[in-house]
Amino acid sequence: MTATTAGPTGSAPASPLIALSGLSKTYGGAVALDDVGLDLWPGEVHALMGENGAGKSTLIRVLAGVTPADRIRVRLQGRAVPLSSPADAAAIGLRFVHQELNIVPHLSVAENIHLGRPAPRRLGFAVDWPRLNAQAAAALARFGVSGIDPATPAGRLGMGDRMMIRLAALLAEADTPARAFVLDEPTAALTHAESARLFAVIDGLRRDGAAILYVSHRMDEVMALSDRVTVLRDGRLAMTAPRGGFDRAGLIAAMTGRAEMAAPARTAAAPGAVLAQAEGLATDTLRDLSFTLHAGEVLGVAGLENAGQSALLRLFLGEGRLRAGSLRLASGARPRSPAQAWARGIAFVPRERRREGVMPGRSITANTVLPHLAALAGPPGLARPRAEVRMAARLAGALRLKFRRLDQPVGSLSGGNQQKVLFARAMAGDPRLLLLDDPTRGVDVGARADIHAAIRARVAAGGAVLLTSTDLAELLALSDRILILRDGSQVGLVPALGLDAAGLLALIYGMAGRAGAA
Amino acid sequence: MIWLRRYGTLAGLAAIVLFFSVMLPETFLTLRNLGNIGQQVSMLAVVAFAMTVVMVMGDFDLSVGAMASLSGVVAAVLFVHGWPVPLALAAALAVGVIGGILNGVLVAVVGILPFVATLGTLTMFGGAASLVSDGRTIFGRDIPEAFSGFAKGTVPGLGLPALTAVALAVLALVWVLLEQTTWGRRLYAIGGNAEAARLAGVRVIRLRIQAFALTGLGAAAAGLMYAARVASANPTQGNGLMLDAIAAVFLGMTMNEEGAPRVLATLVGVLILAVLDNGLTQMSVDSYVREILVGAIILAAVGMAGLGGLARR
Repeated sequence: MTATTAGPTGSAPASPLIALSGLSKTYGGAVALDDVGLDLWPGEVHALMGENGAGKSTLIRVLAGVTPADRIRVRLQGRAVPLSSPADAAAIGLRFVHQELNIVPHLSVAENIHLGRPAPRRLGFAVDWPRLNAQAAAALARFGVSGIDPATPAGRLGMGDRMMIRLAALLAEADTPARAFVLDEPTAALTHAESARLFAVIDGLRRDGAAILYVSHRMDEVMALSDRVTVLRDGRLAMTAPRGGFDRAGLIAAMTGRAEMAAPARTAAAPGAVLAQAEGLATDTLRDLSFTLHAGEVLGVAGLENAGQSALLRLFLGEGRLRAGSLRLASGARPRSPAQAWARGIAFVPRERRREGVMPGRSITANTVLPHLAALAGPPGLARPRAEVRMAARLAGALRLKFRRLDQPVGSLSGGNQQKVLFARAMAGDPRLLLLDDPTRGVDVGARADIHAAIRARVAAGGAVLLTSTDLAELLALSDRILILRDGSQVGLVPALGLDAAGLLALIYGMAGRAGAA
Repeated sequence: MIWLRRYGTLAGLAAIVLFFSVMLPETFLTLRNLGNIGQQVSMLAVVAFAMTVVMVMGDFDLSVGAMASLSGVVAAVLFVHGWPVPLALAAALAVGVIGGILNGVLVAVVGILPFVATLGTLTMFGGAASLVSDGRTIFGRDIPEAFSGFAKGTVPGLGLPALTAVALAVLALVWVLLEQTTWGRRLYAIGGNAEAARLAGVRVIRLRIQAFALTGLGAAAAGLMYAARVASANPTQGNGLMLDAIAAVFLGMTMNEEGAPRVLATLVGVLILAVLDNGLTQMSVDSYVREILVGAIILAAVGMAGLGGLARR
């Protein structure tokens, strides 16, 4: 991470840039926010943390003027201002980057940056393309981004570049000065390298005197970036403290209301029977992988984004084609389709929850039991609704799912709880092999602990796990061994015991000298 | 608002029935007229029930009307060639299954959007119907009594028109398939998120082909019912069924909170269209005005359901 630890620079301002106080919001009797206050100082990164459902999203929606608060006082540099519409938010100088990036994939980078504003023109009507592109390039250059051609369609870019486009677009909005940026889980879909670039940009904005509200579940980022942290719990202010006034354990306690759950000490258990064996495995994207996977083992798969982690997991799910080598499973040949994989006790939690995971309009039960319908069914393919509900209820309990009714649509659950439903789906058949593709992405601390507990329980029961994660700490905490990929090639297979994040990162980047220290 | 969303369509049906019983006290709520409605509606009902199967997956089948016409003329031409009735009917139904499989392969394997794929097969089936029949209407002595007599018959002991009985049987079959089997559960899963369903072990391609085949079979059955009822077959007589069937499914979808098609809800949609048609005809409302009214009612129902969704946000 490149972020420096510099606090507010220059002469210390006398009053916060934006001060919220007495913010309350109820949804039909349910209290979402209760008397919350938040100060944003210029030249400061202010982290906002809290479990899913703690009120972060509501707070952001209120700030954006999308959801009117029941009660709120807003002061801009000491002066009372209204905040009840998106126009008010824009006038205050607030700018938002949401988790789901709003870019138009077919339009060029430059057009996306100018979206919603008149483009420079020639003869009063024709778009002045050279000037449009030059302006976009200038906006990107402010971030030290030079590798993006403003004329390429934005849809061809990676998530990190899209984030840069979005930020450039926010800065380019000329109507009101951009004073404060609200970044909602900006690194959820970014690689380490892309995150590092974003942190550099955030640092630049901070030095220019902007206030940044940084919403994240990632403890490492918050510890590295923030000058101040505010924690919400159950709609109330649980804690707000400047740098130096908080630590990891304190934040977790503030978020969960309980002390940090000590991770059970991992011991190097004797490996069980060989469950899968890869020898000289190669596909279109993977090259020369050789490893064994044992029962009762978590094999972590690490690497930069698109180093082949997902492709490797998908291979076990019956997708992709082998070019060379072999992949043998104890249960027989490699499955040829996801349907066959599930039938053979291989379960999968996908990376993209919304696109590949949940059926948002269908019930918790329907989402949970989908791969297990055949196992639950009566003789001529008749479904057995009561057995389905029993299965869903059992797993919802085991994973501590927060829900109202099992027949409520999954789309109405918080992100972390949707992820738990996907876990329930994977766990329901007591799978022999669990394929987890970044399973706690965008999931809060409490839900993460529940998911980790479920993974450990499965391993203790003799299951094997193939795990990828963009969170290195998670990878280290859960894995027995870690397979390191670079551009689809295997560059290492190391025991996780005794390895720390810095050591693992060094292996991923290929800095052999530092890896020796691990 | 939620009440309106859930039961508004059902209340609408009740209101329409009430309106016509007041306006037509002598003729509307009579056993004879109800039997009439039951018979008139049975072809549309079968197509709409079959259409529900693909719409559960979020797909469409625009070719059902053309398929109904095609199966009618196929049976009639085979009658002309002296085929026995059961064999000719089986062949016509097989044409429906094959056409449905073609639709399913185009959508699920080739990956053409259902709207475009079935628009293409609609044209093909229509052309095939004209080709098979030489563009003529087949009627009179060419249609065997054993075939057309069925449509005039009733279920012994119940007085239920035979065509209505067929529609009810199809309703029961589709209801069991969609609501009571794992097959139906998987179909709804595909409608919920096809990629997620595939990754969760649902054989999406196979199921989609099966579903389209079933819809094709339903369309062919409806075509045969139509041909039996009018004791003739021409290459365009089923074409009108398609839009009404889709409208009926949409009307039904307004009754469901998640907006998923349910076959019993489709039945309500079918009944609304049938009662409107019957009542307005009896009131001698001009048929063009009738079309405008029916279209407006569909838009009002779907629009109101949309507003309900808006209010919940």
